[in-house]
Amino acid sequence: MKNRLKVLRAERDWTQGDLADALGISRQSINAIETGKYDPSLPLAFRIADLFALPIEAIFMRD
Amino acid sequence: MRAKDHPAMRRYMRRFVPITFVYMASIALATFIIVDRAPATALTIGLALLPGLAVLGWLWAMARLLVELDDEYLRMLEVRKMLVATGLTLAITSVWGILELFSPAIPHMPVFFVFPMWCVGLAIGQLVNRFGFGDAGDCG
Repeated sequence: MKNRLKVLRAERDWTQGDLADALGISRQSINAIETGKYDPSLPLAFRIADLFALPIEAIFMRD
Repeated sequence: MRAKDHPAMRRYMRRFVPITFVYMASIALATFIIVDRAPATALTIGLALLPGLAVLGWLWAMARLLVELDDEYLRMLEVRKMLVATGLTLAITSVWGILELFSPAIPHMPVFFVFPMWCVGLAIGQLVNRFGFGDAGDCG
């Protein structure tokens, strides 16, 4: 699954650590999601979407 | 937050270290006090059970880590390590057991080695995480 997390984060001038802290997860997790090594669960994807105030499909796309 | 700073990881280490101390000390004590082929008495059985209790403590600590680790990615890394360890242990002990069954020349493998073997499997699981998936986690 592809995602726009890195772009969305850069638009807000957030570091991976900032995003991790906002979501209450590790920076390692953010890095794994951004680099496509890990697809988040649906609950975590919803939390990410809520944080960016975007629908999930605006952040995560099919390969 | 770095993985090793996660509260569940810190709690795990706080549990792991004293349990390891109990295990090492009880193995040393049992080895020192119980002579080879000693008759089974309440003392020898009690001493021999102490390291077993420590092993149960390790298993409890690892189970608590999985329960308390609320970061799903870090939890996945830990679970993958445990799956690698379980697969390797099952593979080695099962094949060895069959060899023992059909070939008297194969030496008997004491069951004692199963848990240490699984722990070695955890280390190999960490290598699989690092080199197979590019992330080792920080849980040791």
